[in-house]
Amino acid sequence: MSVSAWLCERTGIDRVWAALMERRIPEARGWAGLLYTLGSATMLVFLVQTLTGFLLALNYVSAPDHAYDSVRYIDTSVIFGRLVRGLHHWGSSFMVVLSVLHMLRVYFMGSYKYPREATWLAGVGLLLLVLGFSFTGYLLPWDQKAYWATVVGTTIAEQTPVVGPLLGKILRGGDAMGPATLSRFYAFHVLALPALTAGLITVHLFLVIWHGISDPPRRGS
Amino acid sequence: MPDHPCREKTAPSRLGRRDFLARASAGLAGLIAAALSATGLGYFVSPAFQRREETWVDLRHTGEFKPGSPALVEFTQRKRDAWVTSQRRSSVWIVTPDGKNFKAFDPRCTHLGCPYRWDAAASRFACPCHTAMFGPDGAVLSGPPPRPLDQYAVKIDGDRLLILPMAEKKA
Repeated sequence: MSVSAWLCERTGIDRVWAALMERRIPEARGWAGLLYTLGSATMLVFLVQTLTGFLLALNYVSAPDHAYDSVRYIDTSVIFGRLVRGLHHWGSSFMVVLSVLHMLRVYFMGSYKYPREATWLAGVGLLLLVLGFSFTGYLLPWDQKAYWATVVGTTIAEQTPVVGPLLGKILRGGDAMGPATLSRFYAFHVLALPALTAGLITVHLFLVIWHGISDPPRRGS
Repeated sequence: MPDHPCREKTAPSRLGRRDFLARASAGLAGLIAAALSATGLGYFVSPAFQRREETWVDLRHTGEFKPGSPALVEFTQRKRDAWVTSQRRSSVWIVTPDGKNFKAFDPRCTHLGCPYRWDAAASRFACPCHTAMFGPDGAVLSGPPPRPLDQYAVKIDGDRLLILPMAEKKA
């Protein structure tokens, strides 16, 4: 008996595979068909971000004394360092662009309607998490752009009526930007947000498979 | 017997359009995965291929050392380790028999690391901790040290004396 047959008999992996991968996919031609790939594309980029993010964390220090130097070290002294950092940098933009395009596809094709509202809500949560990644990750290189962008970002949060000043302090970990800001942004970026995203992706994908993919809208229906 | 007998895979006798596209997709996915893995692997094992940085320290003019009378020279060493640059105050014994050839000794006794001194009268190095003696060439004359004094690499650039303050241990 082959290894795959042994494993298959004990895990039912073939049925899991069939349920996940051999689903009915609606017939869509041309551009409409391409639009159905945006969700998978977003998830692929998320996987790339996870891999490159882990690699960057091997050399990154989330303290004002060393953050900038450690990023420069990655760029100049680590094999493929510039490439890995570049992938993470551009991947972050792609995450935002792809998830928004995916959302537009779902909106304009009406795929969010009954019974798929829960899938839509999970997706909106994922979009917010992606923006959270962007906001926290932008500070980490600790250069001028990163620093002042976060000053602007946290000041915007401060304009909230009544609770604004409190929010600003909580976001920054104090009255002014400093070591506490950097380390709490890092903690969110590499611990809280990835865990939440992984969980919500699981829910989102389960619902996609549970309901099946919606057909593209047709004239007259 | 499991209630879902696992299917036997049968290779198609002729490669159809569906199978061809499935294999092409799998091949492309494999290519992307391979490119990513190779990049990640290179990044991950990168420390194994990094050379240790040699930071030579410029001590002083070679003419300032008197032949036959070793001098304890203090210096500041800037060391770069990954993204951290640190400064260390340290010292070194410089010995020259003729003003042309130089030896640089680590200032710690090879027995237990005590700082030793130059005994001008006896013309040798003496360690106060366990009365070890070393000759001006670093050789053990008496006492418990297991090996001669540790030396630093020395080079002369024009008329400046430079040392590389990393001990080359002699067995």
